[in-house]
Amino acid sequence: MGKRDRWGNRAAFILAAIGSAAGLGNVWRFPYMAYSNGGGAFLIPYFVALLTAGIPLIILEFSLGQKQQLGAAASMGKIKKKFEPFGWWTIISAFIIVSYYSGVMGWAWDYLVGSFTVAWQDIGSSDYFFGNILQLSSGPGELGGFSYPVLAGVILTWILIYFILRKGTESVSKVVWFTVLSPIILLIILIFRSATLPGAIAGINYYLQPDFSRLLDYHVWIDAYSQVFFTLSLGMGIMIAYASYMPEDSDVVNNALITVFANSGVSFMSGFAVFGTLGYMAQTQGIPISEVATGGVGLAFVVYPEAINMLPGGNMVIGLFGIIFFLTLLTLGIDSAFSLVESIVAGVVDKWQLNKQKVTLWVIIVLGIFSLLFATKGGLYWLDIVDYYINHYGLILGGLLEALVIGWYYKPETLRNYFNPISEYKIGSWWDFMIKYITPTVLAFLFLYNFYGNITEPYGGYALKFQWLGGWGMLIAMIIIVFVLGSMKDNVADSLDESSRL
Amino acid sequence: MSFSAIVMFIFAVVVLYGGLYVTVSKATKSNKEKK
Repeated sequence: MGKRDRWGNRAAFILAAIGSAAGLGNVWRFPYMAYSNGGGAFLIPYFVALLTAGIPLIILEFSLGQKQQLGAAASMGKIKKKFEPFGWWTIISAFIIVSYYSGVMGWAWDYLVGSFTVAWQDIGSSDYFFGNILQLSSGPGELGGFSYPVLAGVILTWILIYFILRKGTESVSKVVWFTVLSPIILLIILIFRSATLPGAIAGINYYLQPDFSRLLDYHVWIDAYSQVFFTLSLGMGIMIAYASYMPEDSDVVNNALITVFANSGVSFMSGFAVFGTLGYMAQTQGIPISEVATGGVGLAFVVYPEAINMLPGGNMVIGLFGIIFFLTLLTLGIDSAFSLVESIVAGVVDKWQLNKQKVTLWVIIVLGIFSLLFATKGGLYWLDIVDYYINHYGLILGGLLEALVIGWYYKPETLRNYFNPISEYKIGSWWDFMIKYITPTVLAFLFLYNFYGNITEPYGGYALKFQWLGGWGMLIAMIIIVFVLGSMKDNVADSLDESSRL
Repeated sequence: MSFSAIVMFIFAVVVLYGGLYVTVSKATKSNKEKK
């Protein structure tokens, strides 16, 4: 076995983990989630979810990767060969996510360029997004060729990812100082500007005003657990791969806590930039905030550009605000994107002991080809379907399998006995309880809840054949692929299977 | 901003950024001791 890649230092690892966790969702998902689930009161189920599922799972992934010194698939295979497909499941999930994530990054590039001339000003941000950028076709059945602005953005994203990952942890250790710290500075600039706009305080009040009666609604708790799970890059093999590049005797618990606090801190502060600007937009248009408050793609590429269009100070100010906002999205997104690629690279390198640089190049080429689907004129529909199914089933199942394997086969105390002596904070047996009972119960409930919802009402109103192709069919294909990959001969897992020692 | 929104703001700031400060301080101290 060759010498394993190593982070430049502890700070580089923590920054990379924060960079992976803090992505576009922190800006476009958390603030709206809080607003629509009881405002400030949402923080209570959110913190409970962090304590009972987010923190236990991230400690699990950090400690597993660091102890095994392997990526997700080989780490699981080292526990028992039969569990290797579970690790591949998380890696294939990462593969699918990054293939469309690059499409979203492509849109952000287009908007960054468009910000210099405020390209959406005359036609409105909705027409600009769906017409000029996406050139959206009539439905998922009509791909309609490439949207060249999106294609250019996607290619640019892949080139950037390649150059960042080219030298493995050596280059990533340097890049993360920029990609993690710069969006925080940019967000602070956005917050200061938006907070001084008329109507901003009212907008922020909507974001934070607690409605404690909502805590009795179980949907709020489901949303809190979903948010925590998605935001920490769990169930994608990333944290396992990243931690495997740390020496075996490094801290685990405090690194996990820093990552969690920093990631949630970015989410919380994003809400001020978003709702401050939306408050101004609502006041300017004389409409209630509920008519402009939104999340996801609609917030980032339609509502927010429209809101900054109304800023006082002329085109120069609007353009500058646009540049800062889309640079924030791009810097937040790029380290999440390359962490997903790294999860895949670690999986392949650890399984077959191949040259990491060559694997990185080939993984990016294959991903680039897959991502072409999302650069077509029908790409948004496919992105929507694939994103929904992979998030609601792929990731949750990945996390559930990890918790079950560690909780019921490997035994949580085995991992706890490993990480407690080397960690700055010691974790009690409550962690075992969470991994064994609470985390799997919550994830299994989320899985079944989503499943029941989709059986009674298919997602998004798409025709059944598209649901099958991009949703259920994709998940079934994933099951086949992970078992094929797990059964393939490798150069590491067989010899390292720990089952004989348990 | 309403009083209850300000209370939630302080609550979040104390938990999130207070937590971040404590954990980062601990890591920094531990790193110095190792050196």
